[in-house]
Amino acid sequence: MLDLSFLPSGRGGAVTDLPDDQDDAQTFAMDAAAFSHPSFVLPSVADPVAWMKHQMSDAAENRIKMAKGTTTLAFKFKDGIIVAVDSRATGGTYIASQSVKKIIEINPYLLGTMAGGAADCSYWERELGRRCRVYELRNKERISVAAASKLLSNMVYAYKGMGLSMGTMVVGWDKTGPALFYVDSDGQRLKGDLFSVGSGSTFAYGVLDSGYHCNLSIEEAIDLGRRSIYHATFRDAASGGSVLIYHVRQDGWQVISRTDVTELHYQYAEEPRPSLL
Amino acid sequence: MADRYSFSLTTFSPSGKLVQIEHALNAVAQGVTSVGIKATNGIVIATEKKTPSFLVDDETQEKVTLISPNIGMVYSGMGPDARVLVDKARKSAQEYKQVYHEEPPTAILVKEIASVMQEFTQSGGVRPFGVSLLIAGFDETGPTLYQVDPSGAFWAWKASAIGKNMVNAKTFLEKRYNETMEIEDAVHTAILTLKEGFEGQMTESTIEIGVAQIVEVTSQEGVKSKVGRFKKLNAPEIKDYLANIA
Amino acid sequence: MAMKGKNCVAIAADRRFGVQLMTLSTDFQKIFEINPRTYIGLPGLATDVQTLSELFRFKTNLYKLREERDISPKTFSHMVSSTLYEKRFGNYFCEPVIAGIEKDGSPYICSMDLLGCINHAKDFVVSGTASSQMYGTAEGLWEPELEPEELFETIAQAMMSAVDRDASSGWGVIVHVITQDGVMTKTLKARMD
Repeated sequence: MLDLSFLPSGRGGAVTDLPDDQDDAQTFAMDAAAFSHPSFVLPSVADPVAWMKHQMSDAAENRIKMAKGTTTLAFKFKDGIIVAVDSRATGGTYIASQSVKKIIEINPYLLGTMAGGAADCSYWERELGRRCRVYELRNKERISVAAASKLLSNMVYAYKGMGLSMGTMVVGWDKTGPALFYVDSDGQRLKGDLFSVGSGSTFAYGVLDSGYHCNLSIEEAIDLGRRSIYHATFRDAASGGSVLIYHVRQDGWQVISRTDVTELHYQYAEEPRPSLL
Repeated sequence: MADRYSFSLTTFSPSGKLVQIEHALNAVAQGVTSVGIKATNGIVIATEKKTPSFLVDDETQEKVTLISPNIGMVYSGMGPDARVLVDKARKSAQEYKQVYHEEPPTAILVKEIASVMQEFTQSGGVRPFGVSLLIAGFDETGPTLYQVDPSGAFWAWKASAIGKNMVNAKTFLEKRYNETMEIEDAVHTAILTLKEGFEGQMTESTIEIGVAQIVEVTSQEGVKSKVGRFKKLNAPEIKDYLANIA
Repeated sequence: MAMKGKNCVAIAADRRFGVQLMTLSTDFQKIFEINPRTYIGLPGLATDVQTLSELFRFKTNLYKLREERDISPKTFSHMVSSTLYEKRFGNYFCEPVIAGIEKDGSPYICSMDLLGCINHAKDFVVSGTASSQMYGTAEGLWEPELEPEELFETIAQAMMSAVDRDASSGWGVIVHVITQDGVMTKTLKARMD
C-alpha cells in the first residue's frame, strides 16, 4: 500500500502521532478519500439543484449574485503557450481590486486561469492541484494536461446546476507537448489552440485573431497577448488593472511580466497607427 | 365712411388706423386720472377714487392693486376691463415664480400684460381693453415705471399720467419733476398733480396711493436682505401726506 | 461632482460613454456651459443628456433674449427643476449637478434627482454611477475656503480616485473651475480601463 502518511489528515494533527494500529486505518481512509469527489453540505431540501436554481433566479427575493467580469486568454504557438490575464475584481460595477492574480499555479508544469466566481476558481483549482500531486505520487509520473482538465471538469460536473461559476483554461506541457483545455462549470471541456474567456473575451479575440499565427516568435507572441488584454481592458468596463503574462515551455511555466494597463495605454498611443489600406 | 371700419372687428381703415383702438383710447381719456412718478429710491403711483354716489361704500373699491410682492399697478378707464388684466397679470407672475422660484422682473411682467392687450386687438370675437395702465415695480435693476395702452404699446417713464386730466397733469409733471427727487417728495408731487383738476374734496378716501421701494426682509434662516416691495398706503398714511401739503 | 471654494466653484465629470460594460467612446461631453458663470453636469442616459443639454440651451437662450441678462445659477437650477418635474410621469433618466457664481460673487452648487428635487450643499455635491465613491473621496479631501488652484487639485484628486473604483466611470476626467474672472478648463490624464 502506498504510504501517504506525510499528508495532513482530515482530523488535523500529524498522522505519525497516532498509535500504530490506527495508523493503517487512517492511511487507508485517506487513500480512498484521495480520489473521491470532495463532498459539501448540500441544502437540506428534496431537490438541491432546483432549490439553488430558484435562489439564483431573478424571481428570488434575495438573489445570489456572482462577481464576474474578466478577460483571460491563452494560445499555443511554436514555442509553447502564452497565457495572459487582466487583474480586476468587480462586485457589480464596484471595483473591489485591481491586483488580483488570475493565473493559478497548479504545479510547476500546470497553470489554470480564473474567470467567473473567484472563490470557485481558486478552490477547485487548488483541489485540482492536490489531486494532480496524488496522481504523481501513485504513478511516479506527471499527470497529462488532458487528464488534469478532465479531473477538474468531473469535479465541477458533480455540482452542476448548484451555482458554481467558472470559466477556466488549464494549460501545461506534458509528454504530448504543449496542451490547452477550456473547462467551465457547466461541465464543458474543450481542447484547442486558442481561447479567450470572460466578459472582455470578445474584445480580446478581435485583437488576438487578427494577429495570431502559429509561427510567432516568443517576443511577438507575448506582445500579442499583452495587446489583446490591454484592448479588452479598454473596451470592457469589468476588465482592467494590469496585464499578467506567463509563458509555458517544456521545462515548465515562467512569469514574463506584469504591466499596468495605464502604462500600456500611453505607450501604445505613442505608436504610429497602422494604415487601414 | 369711418363707420364701415368701426364695427366689432378691429380692421384697418384705408388711412392705416385701427379705429377701435382709438375708440378704446377715448374710453381711457374719459377715465379718472392716474399718475406715476419715478424717484431715485422708489416709485409712486396714485389715482383718484370716484364713486357715482356717496352711498357707495368706497372702502371696497380698489384701483391701485398688487400684482406681485414687488410690482403694483393702477388703471384709468373701465374698471371691469382692468380687473381682467389684474387677474391675468397676477396669474402670469405666479407662473413665472413657479418656474424660477423668484419674482418676475418688472419688464417681463409688463411685456406679458402688453402682449395680452395686443392679442385683444387682433383676435376674433373680442374687443380691445378700455384701459391704460401704470405699472410700478422695484426689481434687481431698480425702480421702473411703465405705461401700457389698449393697443399693447408700452413705454417706460420717469413720470406719466393717464386718464381724463392727463394733458394737464403731464404739463404739471414736466414742470415739477427732477431727477434727484426722493420717494417722499415724489408722493407729494403725485398728490399735487392729482389735485390739478380734482373734482370735489381730496381726502384719504378719495385717492389711492401705492409705493414701490427697498425694504429689509428676514428669511426663514434669519438672513437679512434688501428687496423691492410694493405697498399701498393706508388711510392714516395718506392723511398725513395730505396734511403736510395743506 | 461639484465643489464650492472661496469665491470659486469647480465642476468635474468623467468622459466615458458606454452601454453596460462596453465602452463606446471616451470623449463624451457631460458638462455644458450655460453662460460664463453657470455650468451644468448631466450624468445619466446618453440620449437624455443630449436632449436636456439642447433643451436648456434653447430655454436659456430664450431667457436671455427675453430678460436681457444671463440667467443666474440659482434661477437656472429652478428652471432645470421645473423642466424635470414637468415630466413627472415619464421622466428623463438624468440627475443634474449645477455649479456657478452668483451675481454678488457668492459660489453656488446644487444637485438634483431625476424628478427635479433640488439638493443644496455648503461643501460639495455628487451624482452618477460613482456617487458612493465620490462621497468618500470628497468627504476626505474637501476643506472650506479653498483658492481656485487648491479647489482644482481637490476636485481632480477626488474624481480620479472615485472613478478608479467604479467600473462604469473613467476613461478621462474633465474639470472646470469657475471664478469671477473666468473659467479654467483642464482634461486630466487618467486610467483608461
